[in-house]
Amino acid sequence: MVTDILFYVFAIATLVFGALVVANPFSRNPVTSAMFLVLTIISMAGLFVLLHAFFLAAVQVLVYAGAVMVLFLFVIMLLDLKEEEQRKIKKTGLVAGLVSVGAIVAIFIRSLLASEPSRGLGDPQLEGSTFALGKLLFTDYLLPFEIVSLLLLVAMVGVILLSKKDLK
Amino acid sequence: MNVSYLELLKLAAPETIVVLTALAALVVDLTSTRDLEARFRFIINGMIACAGCVAAIVWMLVMPAHANALEGMFVVDPLTQVVKIALLGLTLFTVLISMDSTFTEHIGEYLALILLAAVGMMFLVSAEDILMIFISLELTSLSLYILAAFNKRDVNSAEAALKYFLFGGMAAAFTLFGLSLLYGLSGATNLGQIAAALEDKGLDPLLIVAMVMIVLGFGFKVAAVPFHLWAPDAYQGAPTPSAAFIASGSKVASFFIFAKVMMIGFTGGETNGVHEIAGSAAWQQFVSGWTPVVAVVAVLSMLLGNLVAIVQSSVKRLIAYSAIAHAGYMLIGVMAHSGEAVASLVYYAVTYGLTTIGAFGVVAVVEARSKDDQLASFAGLSRRAPVVSLCMMIFMLSLAGIPPLAGFFGKFYVFAAALKTGAPNLGLLWLVILAIAMSAVSFYYYLQVLKQIYVADMPAGAEELRVPVLGQVVLGLIAVGVILLGCAPNLLVGVLQASIKAAGL
Repeated sequence: MVTDILFYVFAIATLVFGALVVANPFSRNPVTSAMFLVLTIISMAGLFVLLHAFFLAAVQVLVYAGAVMVLFLFVIMLLDLKEEEQRKIKKTGLVAGLVSVGAIVAIFIRSLLASEPSRGLGDPQLEGSTFALGKLLFTDYLLPFEIVSLLLLVAMVGVILLSKKDLK
Repeated sequence: MNVSYLELLKLAAPETIVVLTALAALVVDLTSTRDLEARFRFIINGMIACAGCVAAIVWMLVMPAHANALEGMFVVDPLTQVVKIALLGLTLFTVLISMDSTFTEHIGEYLALILLAAVGMMFLVSAEDILMIFISLELTSLSLYILAAFNKRDVNSAEAALKYFLFGGMAAAFTLFGLSLLYGLSGATNLGQIAAALEDKGLDPLLIVAMVMIVLGFGFKVAAVPFHLWAPDAYQGAPTPSAAFIASGSKVASFFIFAKVMMIGFTGGETNGVHEIAGSAAWQQFVSGWTPVVAVVAVLSMLLGNLVAIVQSSVKRLIAYSAIAHAGYMLIGVMAHSGEAVASLVYYAVTYGLTTIGAFGVVAVVEARSKDDQLASFAGLSRRAPVVSLCMMIFMLSLAGIPPLAGFFGKFYVFAAALKTGAPNLGLLWLVILAIAMSAVSFYYYLQVLKQIYVADMPAGAEELRVPVLGQVVLGLIAVGVILLGCAPNLLVGVLQASIKAAGL
């Protein structure tokens, strides 16, 4: 019962904060958007806790709300914000955006109504401990895990290459 | 579940070899060849890269394997091995045509990224699990974004990479959304299990949304209309060898996995015998769901690609629009969804990739001497560089689909497979007719290039183009390959058909 209520609280918080990240009627300051993104991420961490994925929740807060967001803020503050704040919203862009969001929402509502309520995956058998997670990473998910390490290597090479100034 | 690491390493040995080669190229360039002249660095490291590709190819030829590791995450069978060998061949040619280029000082990184992109493609080909599909797709894409941005002295290269990256990021988000819906509907990440789980659920709207989003993501990867906007700019702005690799290797891998996901029931059946029949039945029932989506995309690609290519004055943009048109033809092969269609699709994609690499190689040669890729720069090329011109003629005629060349047989097999599948009611006939009509249109712009090369007068004061011997040999080899695959298509088709039979499609 309590978890049901908490689920709705966190889910609504995630959606509302998420919407405020991209479309905030009160402020056009990118820093405000970034702060709402932090709140979105924390609400999502709450959802993970409800799924018993404690490790994932902790990582979500530490890595995303902590480390990644600090970098985001750095970048935002390095850029010139004045221009962005004064930029007018284009009408065509607004209309196109609303229409596509409306279409996607309509499809989802339709499909939710059309599908039987009992479907879904049932109770998730989640084990959120680091032990279980580590075991999975090195057995069932060994290959994706290794490929992600290659992905990080590519990202690293790319960042160093693109950010370094060529002397010649 | 117990995983034998040694067994896995043995199965993934070709990929491992290529990864090690990439690391070797990075390290060698950093430590020992750093002070040499750029040309020698390219030759030494390029040779290392080529040796790695050849070693991986040889490994696959010597040790044919047939296994399914980690529940479909890594499937090795004769078919995936053939496709991987083809991919490595395309990588090899990309490395060879880039050896002459001067756009970068970071040679080790350049070659390493090409090889790592190839590794991503190889894993993609072997994946029968949506998690693996997504991760290897990202590995490939990320490497290709960086390859597109490699010319740091040229602002167009940065623009190309940014456009490619932004569109790619969005397409990846859509793909991920679609895949997560698919996971939500079925509770499985393995393609075969998904097919089995969806079997009795019917075609509900959420599944259609998932299909549309997945088609959108793959549509971006193969540059089909309306997800093609990045392609002309990326092809034109990116360094020419990078563009060649984006147009060839990535296309072959994407089409293969696209076909695999769409024909999920046929390929997924291999995972566990129980799912085989159920799976294909399930997706037969869904075929009515995704065929119209793909048909619309194919029609738009063929129309827009061919018609817009006519007015292009930049040869790279012309090839880009022709690539969009070719994506349209290949989508017909995807729609035919049969074992034979897969064989024809792979044949088409591989020969197309080979031809495009050759065409880009010629563009690179011309571009290096005249600093741009405008059609006018090709004027009178036949008298300035006869061998290169002859190669270009072969590539252009093959892309247009003139009979003894590979391009003709690619189209022929794809269209034949499409007609055979829809035989009872001629379902795909209208598409095939449209495709043939549009290929007639495409003659115009391919011949336009040849007219510049063979008929137009040389610009005053132009002298003979000095093309390095290695470059001429490589282009000649590709041209011979195109002719050989065209005159004896059974070399590849026979192998493909045998391996599809062995893979149990």
